[in-house]
Amino acid sequence: MMLTLPKKSFNLLNKKLLSLLMACMATVMSFAQAASDVIQPPQEFDPSSWNWMNILICALILLITLVIARAFDIGGLAEKITGKKIVNPHKINAIVGIVVLILGFVGVWYEMKYHGKFLLLSNSASEHGAELDSMFMWTFGFTFVVFILTEFLLFYFMIRYYYREDRKADYFFHNNKLEIVWTIVPAIVLTFLVLRGFNVWTKITQTPNDKAEEVEIFAYQFGWKARYAGEDKKLGENSFVMISGTNPLGLAVEDEADKLKATLQTEIDEIKAKLASANDSTVVWRAALNKMESTGLSNTYVSEYKALREKVLDAESGAYVRQMEKEKKRKETNIKRVDLFKSKQEIFNKAAYDDRVTTEIVLIKNKPYMFRFRARDVIHSAYMPEFRAQMNCVPGMSTVFPFTPIKTTVEARKAKGNDKFDYYLYCNKICGAAHYNMKIKITVVGSEAEYQTWLAAQAKVVAPPVEAAPATPASDSTAVLPAVAVN
Amino acid sequence: MSTSASHAADHHGHDHHHQESFISKYVFSMDHKMISKQFLITGIIMGVIGMGMSLLFRLQLAWPDEQFGILEMLLGKWAVDGKLDPNFYMGLVTSHGTIMVFYVLTAGLSGTFSNLLIPLQIGARDMASPFMNMLSYWFFFLSSVVLLVSVGVETGPASAGWTVYPPLSALEKAMPGSGLGMTLWLVAIALFIISALLGGMNYIATVLNQRTKGMSMNRMPLTIWAFLFTAVLGLLSFPVLLGASLFLIFDRSFGTSFYLSDIYLEGIGALENVGGSPVLYQHLFWFLGHPEVYIILMPALGITSEVISTNARKPIFGYTAMIISLMGISILSFIVWGHHMFITGMNPFLGSVFMILTLIIAVPSAVKAFNYLTTLWRGNLRFTPAMLFSIGLVSFFISGGLTGIYLGNAAMDIQLHDSYFVVAHFHLVMGSAAIFGMFAGIYHWFPRMYGRMMNNTLGYFHFWLTFISAYLVFFPMHFMGLAGVPRRYYQFTLMEDFSVWADVNKLITVSAIVGGFAQLLFLYNFFVSIFRGKKADQNPWLSNTLEWTSPMDVRLHGNWPGELPTVYRGPHEYSRPDRELDYFPQNEPDETAPEVFEPAVVTEAPKAEEVPAENSVFFAAIKRVFGLSR
Repeated sequence: MMLTLPKKSFNLLNKKLLSLLMACMATVMSFAQAASDVIQPPQEFDPSSWNWMNILICALILLITLVIARAFDIGGLAEKITGKKIVNPHKINAIVGIVVLILGFVGVWYEMKYHGKFLLLSNSASEHGAELDSMFMWTFGFTFVVFILTEFLLFYFMIRYYYREDRKADYFFHNNKLEIVWTIVPAIVLTFLVLRGFNVWTKITQTPNDKAEEVEIFAYQFGWKARYAGEDKKLGENSFVMISGTNPLGLAVEDEADKLKATLQTEIDEIKAKLASANDSTVVWRAALNKMESTGLSNTYVSEYKALREKVLDAESGAYVRQMEKEKKRKETNIKRVDLFKSKQEIFNKAAYDDRVTTEIVLIKNKPYMFRFRARDVIHSAYMPEFRAQMNCVPGMSTVFPFTPIKTTVEARKAKGNDKFDYYLYCNKICGAAHYNMKIKITVVGSEAEYQTWLAAQAKVVAPPVEAAPATPASDSTAVLPAVAVN
Repeated sequence: MSTSASHAADHHGHDHHHQESFISKYVFSMDHKMISKQFLITGIIMGVIGMGMSLLFRLQLAWPDEQFGILEMLLGKWAVDGKLDPNFYMGLVTSHGTIMVFYVLTAGLSGTFSNLLIPLQIGARDMASPFMNMLSYWFFFLSSVVLLVSVGVETGPASAGWTVYPPLSALEKAMPGSGLGMTLWLVAIALFIISALLGGMNYIATVLNQRTKGMSMNRMPLTIWAFLFTAVLGLLSFPVLLGASLFLIFDRSFGTSFYLSDIYLEGIGALENVGGSPVLYQHLFWFLGHPEVYIILMPALGITSEVISTNARKPIFGYTAMIISLMGISILSFIVWGHHMFITGMNPFLGSVFMILTLIIAVPSAVKAFNYLTTLWRGNLRFTPAMLFSIGLVSFFISGGLTGIYLGNAAMDIQLHDSYFVVAHFHLVMGSAAIFGMFAGIYHWFPRMYGRMMNNTLGYFHFWLTFISAYLVFFPMHFMGLAGVPRRYYQFTLMEDFSVWADVNKLITVSAIVGGFAQLLFLYNFFVSIFRGKKADQNPWLSNTLEWTSPMDVRLHGNWPGELPTVYRGPHEYSRPDRELDYFPQNEPDETAPEVFEPAVVTEAPKAEEVPAENSVFFAAIKRVFGLSR
């Protein structure tokens, strides 16, 4: 009764749809034509070789065909002629449901077979990662059973209990025992998972380790830098007010403080000069603008004209002066803060002087590390999936993540059967246009000696620039060592 | 139609004080039924836009090196030579998230069905304050317009992700989208919050005060319970987002430093802001953000409960347990927000607390899933499109909910945070599930809205194509996430490790496009059926609830001519063994049982003209304006 279909309403469109069908047929024919021109040898199953655009078009055609099928409503028509109920939508939907379920499970199995080896499970390159992997498998075990069971029941009930006119549903709406069971059982399972997660999380994040070596990871739009302590084994102090072109990490180095102050002072003087001549500039710019307009150049150089017009409007409305004054104030504050920072003499204890700022991260296998994260401009996230490690880098806040690598790059390459494999640290918090291309290579070496060779080649913060020394050939992992770059 | 309406009105003494004009009937309407249609149509339009955006960036992800002429045609300078600009990619991602979360699944879903069903299912003439209800829609409309304008501004739409974390969203120089686009985004969200609050207050007041005779709280359909809890959640959490947005506006425009500290920008230098904390914003945002996912999901669950019970011809299993689990979810949803922030630098101890609270929330969710399954067990399942969409919701709710156990675990979140695993999780559990709830609602109550039926066959095609393509889009993302593929990447061609996923990305995009075209079937079905669908019977699904007793063929502001129906029993009395029919409407007196109530008092339909005399003109005006006296 309620499921008979409103046929009349859709019949008017048949003519239009018919013509659409013809168009589709023509498209299909042309595809077939093109395909028959080239005789292709039988190929292995390889989705990357498919022409997805064609598949897409085919899918579209399929869809349109479906609409047409509906418009013709063959089933409904047949029902009308024979006067019998042929199409049972309940049964059809129930069957489609069970087919979809089975295809779905097959699809998951196929995907696992095809891509399973790329998953980061049970192959952690860090010590704590092994525990995370084991916990993942436990959680997976529980959820997988529930998933299979409930999804199966859902679709099984569809086919088992679809509508028949002669049946009546069970008047069954309450059962305390059942409800208690499925409240308590998930609660117990979850308690188990929570306790385990709690222990692992506490162990990873809250276990102090004095032996861990601190490495600073510095994030900026759009790249990473690492800072290693020098001979004194101490990372020097830093501040964002100290950041400059020559001191990208803002380290507490006296020369840099003076240099930065001088630069800022020069800039302030320039702004002052500009402010003094603001009125004259406005007149000059306005004249230039008028000239552009009168000579018709504004039509040829549209973007230049627009920029100039904006500038003139800003200048005339006073926005230009306000902007300059704001800029001046900001730079003055910067100078004051550099002075304040400098006045804390104990900070300039030269701990920063022998620090090494690098564009790659090199770690030693089985050595505990404490990564200390800083961000210069916006929030970034240091994501090292192979090490099961991640921590956000937040401006104005120091965050840490401790971990111990247990597999060298060479070992990982062997295990993965990929000679070109490298560990990377990716950015995993939306940070701007080039977010997708913000990474730094991590190399794990087997011995302290290899690490020291590499570190020695990195420039000290205040050391005079030297020519790049040729890399000394060493053990089998030489190839892994990043090229020595001194800048 | 208007003649029959006025005829019916005259007949029952429902006297309109003036002829309704086009404006008062269709535009600034105070009739909850019309407002719900307005919400629905706006929601559908926003949904089409949001989905279209996702298709655009899916094209980029599947074929990063391909040039699509159509993109340049559509987007102009944002897709020079048919290749999407990275900044605009971010803008699309952000706008897609904002539109889907707030405009489609909050306003489009909750706004539509709360408005339609609350008065009709509890037996009220209208909302407690029809005027506020109208304002709620128009603030929402305004907000939608501002948001769409923000997508079109020259510097690009807001692009810091739908969560708009500062400092990225606070600093105009950090990315172009954080300029005017971001300002408009904030304005749009502020307007949206006003709309949500106006609506929410109304829903709560109506449910608590306007129930008809016999409609006690434990006889309310589960839809109404879900809308009630949703409104409470919204009322308590949206103001916090307003606060967060205001601070962000101050930081952006007035030089404060709530969220900013120690920032150096390339090409500018060290900024003056010190002392703020970006993590503060995240706390404030997720204090709304987490309840928000339940604001989205709970109405869908309520709709599903009602649709499944009606079409399984069986009482919903565990009515009380369903209400208690809704209540449990509502309360817990306020104290789990930290699970979005395990690795943001928040104190790790706090992380452990949030982990425990988060995993508790899985228990009431599991109870709901099991109750749905038991309702289906030994039912007599009629597969209307609405029923199929409800079953689809249960399927998504299970598969998406289970991955929540992984992500709610702080330790595992270290690896999975912000990866495609998260994308898969929330698109299944709150994206697909909620949109399926919305479709179920539309198919089920379309006859109530327009007095006509939608086409079933098209509905079946729509369901299966959408269901299959949604799984094909989101399920493979689990695998990508487990391989450490980060979300919100413009392309993966520069990361060799991720190149193996190129095929999967193509599969996802193709499925998304097929899914998108399946929505065309729905749109066609929806809009054609409004005008040409088969006329609906008074109670097309043989349902028990009161909305099917209000006359279908006339548009009546006041819902029932003459007296309001009286309710004698709960909403789910299907297939009672002692009855021949397999349903038993709530308003039908039980002949075998003794009459519980006094004979119903005839409450006349309100007369708009008769505003009681007030001592003060001022108060009279206020009452009138806010619809306190009708």
